[in-house]
Amino acid sequence: MARSDTAPGRGRRPPGGAATLTVLRLGFLALLILLWWLASANVPRGIIPSPAATTMAAAQLWSEGRLQTALGQSLAVYGTGLLAAIAVGIPLGALMGAVRIFGRTVDLFVFALAATPRVAFIPLIILLLGLGIEAKAVIVFLGAVMPIILNTYAGVLARDADLIEMARSTGASPVRIAIHIVLPGALPFLVVGLRLGATIGLINTVVAELYTAVTGLGGLLALYGNTFRMAEYFVIVLALAMIGVIVTEGLRLIEARLSRWQTAERP
Amino acid sequence: MIPAHVLLSGVSRGFGTAKAPTLALSQVSLAVARGEVVVLLGPSGCGKTTLLRLVAGLIRPDAGGVTVDGQPPQPGDGTAMVFQSFRLIPWKTARDNVAFALPRLGRAEARERAEHYLSLVGLSRFAKSWPAQLSGGMRQRLALARALAAEPTLLLMDEPFASLDAQSRELMQIELMRLMAARPATVLFVTHSVDEALILADRIVLMSPRPGRIAEEIAVPFPRPRWNHDTRALPDYALLRRHLWERLRDMVLNDPASDFHGRG
Repeated sequence: MARSDTAPGRGRRPPGGAATLTVLRLGFLALLILLWWLASANVPRGIIPSPAATTMAAAQLWSEGRLQTALGQSLAVYGTGLLAAIAVGIPLGALMGAVRIFGRTVDLFVFALAATPRVAFIPLIILLLGLGIEAKAVIVFLGAVMPIILNTYAGVLARDADLIEMARSTGASPVRIAIHIVLPGALPFLVVGLRLGATIGLINTVVAELYTAVTGLGGLLALYGNTFRMAEYFVIVLALAMIGVIVTEGLRLIEARLSRWQTAERP
Repeated sequence: MIPAHVLLSGVSRGFGTAKAPTLALSQVSLAVARGEVVVLLGPSGCGKTTLLRLVAGLIRPDAGGVTVDGQPPQPGDGTAMVFQSFRLIPWKTARDNVAFALPRLGRAEARERAEHYLSLVGLSRFAKSWPAQLSGGMRQRLALARALAAEPTLLLMDEPFASLDAQSRELMQIELMRLMAARPATVLFVTHSVDEALILADRIVLMSPRPGRIAEEIAVPFPRPRWNHDTRALPDYALLRRHLWERLRDMVLNDPASDFHGRG
């Protein structure tokens, strides 16, 4: 059945407006900071730094330029690995879905590789590529590429046969069908793959920085954690959380923009 | 003799696996003249849709030959198809849905053509709406605009109005006849409905199920244009209607795969 038959205007809007949601989210953030402050005041030996101490540590790290340097190193690793994963994962997954015999031949091995903890390959990668940014980017790539391949594959397999037949009846070429019908139809799957890939990629960025040459945010995390400089340590944790939020929210905005047709109201 | 626009000679086509094949069409021969409106009428399982897909060039026959203008059919080459479930692209606007069906035109030209045909079916205001924002009748008019925009010489319609309510359906039949009068094309139209067949057809091809074959061909004598008077008031209408309905009824009651088998 073509998806054009779904009920119109059934949006996925939250109840209330966007403004209400923003207020609720800020309120929840305030609650989290309050809990953090309570914990910092009550956990002994200063293991948890207060919000104020953390803010001061952040200002200090920023003015020394250490935060920026580490952030730049981490983003270079993360960006390279993630972009490579997107550039390889989407075409490969699409090819697996489009050429059925190819997909059936290799999907078992891709599933097997996806189930293997990719950190297991780190010693091998270090032997092959050393300890520099190449090795780190490959570790990020290996983590991020799997969900992107598998979700693109699933999305292309779930293509709408009726729409493709309609497209063929107009004389559309296979390339035109792929671009206008199959890939846009796979978009919801693709976004899930990208979100998972982005999350795993960020985890692997930190893992790579801990296991290879110690640099970037992961390096600072180890440094401050091992030397019990908890305020600085918290700054790094929060910086990593913010990268994660910015990337996944960015993907969500792109998805919302590309799927306006699902949520649009009747004129 | 004028060569036929569409010619099927001894066409058979099966489906299913090698272990459990089903014959959708068996030894079907049919010639359709240029500009003729032929309605394929028959119960479920009589291979009407298979016949359309063969003529569209979407599938090939197992035996026999299909030609359009003397050539094996190529999808989109002078042919356009309208489907029962509309098959609109949900992430494209109305205008871009129509423009998509014009792969041979440049982008700007396709959009211009799309806007012209949207206005022809009364959807200009909705050019930038998505299909989900349109009512059932509007979606069907959009699907029709998409097919007409290709300016086909052969229009294939697979139960295009079956999912519309009774009023929309009658209005769409009239709209189709008006549009076809303005720009004539050969039409092959598939339906379950005896009334729809009698209102639209120059000739009705009655098909019987399992395997699909042609049971009878009936020329429809009503004068055109048919939208300015009620064809159903003509005395021949009732006679033809009763004849067709009795044939269909017998087919359904004698079809072991039908829900009504043996209930006559």
